[in-house]
Amino acid sequence: MSLEIVLEQLVNGLVLGSFYALVALGYSMVYGIIKLLNFAHGDIYMTGAFVCLSAFGVLSGFLPGVPGIIVSILIAMLISGVLGYMTQRFAYRPLLGAPRLSLLITAIGVSLVIYNTVMVVTNSQPLSFQSGLNNTAGIRFGGIDISYIKIVLVAVSALVMTGLNLFINRTMAGRAMRAISQDQDTCRLMGIHVSRIIGLTFILGSALAAVAGGMACVYYGNVRFNMGYIIGIKAFTASVIGGIGSIPGAMLGGLLLGLLESFGTQLEFVGSAWKDVFAFGILILILILKPNGLMGKSEVERM
Amino acid sequence: MGFIKQTCHTALKPVRQAYGLLSENKRVQYIVCAALFAAMVAGPLFLGRYVIGVMWDAMFYMLLALGLNIIVGYCGLCDLGYAAKFAIGAYTTGICIQTFGLSFWLSLPVSVVMAIITAVLIGAPTLKLRSDYLAIVTLGFAEIVRITARNLEITGKATGLHSIERPSLFGLQLTKTEHWYYVFLVLVVAFIFISYRIRNSRFGRALAYIREDEDAAQAMGVNTTRYKLYAYMIGAVLGGITGSFYAVRMASISPTTFDFNQSANILLAVILGGMGKIPGVLAGAAFFAIFPELFRDIPVVGDMRMLFFGLLLVVVMILRPQGLWPERKKR
Amino acid sequence: MPLMQIQNLTMRFSGITAIEDLSFHIEESSITSLIGPNGAGKTSAFNCMTGFYRATSGDILFEGESLLGLKPYRITQKGIIRTFQNVRLFKNMTVLENVMSGAHSISRQSVFGALLRHPAERREEREIREAAEYYLGYVGILDKQNEVAKNLSYGDQRRTEWARALAAKPKLLLLDEPAAGLNREEKDRLVALIRRFRTDFGMTVFLIEHDMDLVMKVSEQVIVINFGTKIAEGTPFEVQSDPRVIEAYLGTDE
Repeated sequence: MSLEIVLEQLVNGLVLGSFYALVALGYSMVYGIIKLLNFAHGDIYMTGAFVCLSAFGVLSGFLPGVPGIIVSILIAMLISGVLGYMTQRFAYRPLLGAPRLSLLITAIGVSLVIYNTVMVVTNSQPLSFQSGLNNTAGIRFGGIDISYIKIVLVAVSALVMTGLNLFINRTMAGRAMRAISQDQDTCRLMGIHVSRIIGLTFILGSALAAVAGGMACVYYGNVRFNMGYIIGIKAFTASVIGGIGSIPGAMLGGLLLGLLESFGTQLEFVGSAWKDVFAFGILILILILKPNGLMGKSEVERM
Repeated sequence: MGFIKQTCHTALKPVRQAYGLLSENKRVQYIVCAALFAAMVAGPLFLGRYVIGVMWDAMFYMLLALGLNIIVGYCGLCDLGYAAKFAIGAYTTGICIQTFGLSFWLSLPVSVVMAIITAVLIGAPTLKLRSDYLAIVTLGFAEIVRITARNLEITGKATGLHSIERPSLFGLQLTKTEHWYYVFLVLVVAFIFISYRIRNSRFGRALAYIREDEDAAQAMGVNTTRYKLYAYMIGAVLGGITGSFYAVRMASISPTTFDFNQSANILLAVILGGMGKIPGVLAGAAFFAIFPELFRDIPVVGDMRMLFFGLLLVVVMILRPQGLWPERKKR
Repeated sequence: MPLMQIQNLTMRFSGITAIEDLSFHIEESSITSLIGPNGAGKTSAFNCMTGFYRATSGDILFEGESLLGLKPYRITQKGIIRTFQNVRLFKNMTVLENVMSGAHSISRQSVFGALLRHPAERREEREIREAAEYYLGYVGILDKQNEVAKNLSYGDQRRTEWARALAAKPKLLLLDEPAAGLNREEKDRLVALIRRFRTDFGMTVFLIEHDMDLVMKVSEQVIVINFGTKIAEGTPFEVQSDPRVIEAYLGTDE
């Protein structure tokens, strides 16, 4: 592998990893707080991409280019956040005391609803996104071309994640979130409005997924109703790698998976046809070797 | 929410009463079962080819649902990639016949062995962990199987395997729809028999203990990891056998048959039918085979059926977490 | 040799020490109690003894063999059966099926037995069923055998749990707060029942309990812990008059 290829794959891996990390955060936050594997999260990401595309379609007439895209992503965040909240309010909350299996199955139901709604609305066709920007423009560094869009994408992800970290660690609501993941009943006794905080967690997680969805829409230039499925599983993989429930873990896991995947495709026996197999293989390996993930706290050792 | 619950309650009243009669009176039970079975046996004499085809479809789903029911219904494990088990059986048989020239009947034990190997491969590392990890690993594994089938030479890549030779039974080559109708009817009866035997045994009770309360099951001396693996293996073997028969019945298989929607359908059949209750699971599977047929020709609704399924799933889980089949009060 | 020996047991969860250097033993066919105020580490000790937690250090010997690192089901197979503080029945199964689970650790038919249903399997199934019915009769709820467990009253759920434990024919029966939620009259009956467990089945009984009164009535040996360490040990009478116990427990609680 020449240095150029290494650098190039490093950049690609970071881009891919940013997507994974943003989506993985939502998985991890929700799992941390109500121990639900939110199966519909990938579809929220897809919805985010869709809303972004539709919003830009309307906005581009009078607000073209970068400002239009920014506003579109903000709208996507808002609508996905509302959608995430609604799923929580109407599908998951009535089942919080029910067996875990029922909750998981409900999540599959929610996923089917979102997925198929978008499928019907778009008539199963991919939609293309015309940003009017030059996606290939960029800078030359270390012998390779890095497009501006990749730089912006990674930078925005880093910014969003830093913001999230500050929110979780510095604000009252963030502290409440961490407290609920430790012990819901005690939190209730302490006067924390538990269901409101759970709702907030869904909103935040969904908004983060929408950021990823919006950026994916700009970056790849098209949106498909099934784009959330694979990234959903991958992001889950990422959050398991990092240690599910751990927020820095989700970020680290996302980046790591992105890098592994983009370097993996360079390996002769992997190639692009096998890259998903490669990622799931990693998931299974991690579960065997380090089931609590890289940064997950081991629970009280129960046997 | 209360209103919906009330309406459902009233609407289901006749069903409950009929079920009450059924569950309390053993003789009524036997008569109903015998009548159903006789109707199934006599069916092809009266019914048209289309209806027989749909009924075959229903039985096919019943087999898959009964297999998955051992994993989900009996043991409470969530398997989101059951299509993979059935794909492995189908491809094993397809390859055995086409590449190695084995007869179909000889390919069956190979299928069973393959199913066990894959079940151990996925189950052994993950069944020790939190139960929802299994869900995602089975999902991931199903993707691996599908992608592998699409990329390998031996599985016929994206187009799959074609013109797989139909087997013969006592010198009769099984080619007609009716033949397969009866083959699958025998299989359904066999699977039901296996399911009942398992349920009413020390082994089956142990699975139910795990489903109900894993810690308490451990405390009563159940080796939970091993029993979960057994349940998973049995489910995989039943799925593999179904896949083998599917391959020779259809004579061609391709990766698209085994996608996530397929896995979801089977899971939904088991859950809507009421996890673990065999008549419910059979009804759920029949519903899944027949429902799309009814709506196939209505343009918009046909596309939206998975949407309805999703909604139905959420509503059922909220109103009746134990599934649609009425609960037994007493035995 | 005592039936069970706890040696220098220590249990820490991420920084918190639940049990510190705890040692005691349980004599064969005795009724021994572990008591202490809320949060003293009773349940942690119990969970270590039954394999639900892995002890940080120390050792637990049963009939001279270490139980450390064994999974709960292995410990059960050695003849140690536990009940749970807040009754953990298999809620959607019948009472009879619940009690039949007790026989799991002393029976052996598995997948092939289930499918083939050969004579050995039939015999074992019959034995399991008969044993379950016997123990249901023993605790006095045979008439409820076909009810779904979750529909039982709390008292009957407790009895079901006892029958389930007895059906395993344990050498050592561990009861986790058996009197919780029972009224005075039921508690008196419980005292008699625990004594009968020993005389009728020759088993050793170990209980952790909150209710001082019950403990003093039923046990021969009492171990008192507070903040994870042992503060007293002896007969109920000795313990009752120990000033450290009065200070730590009787003085503050109740």
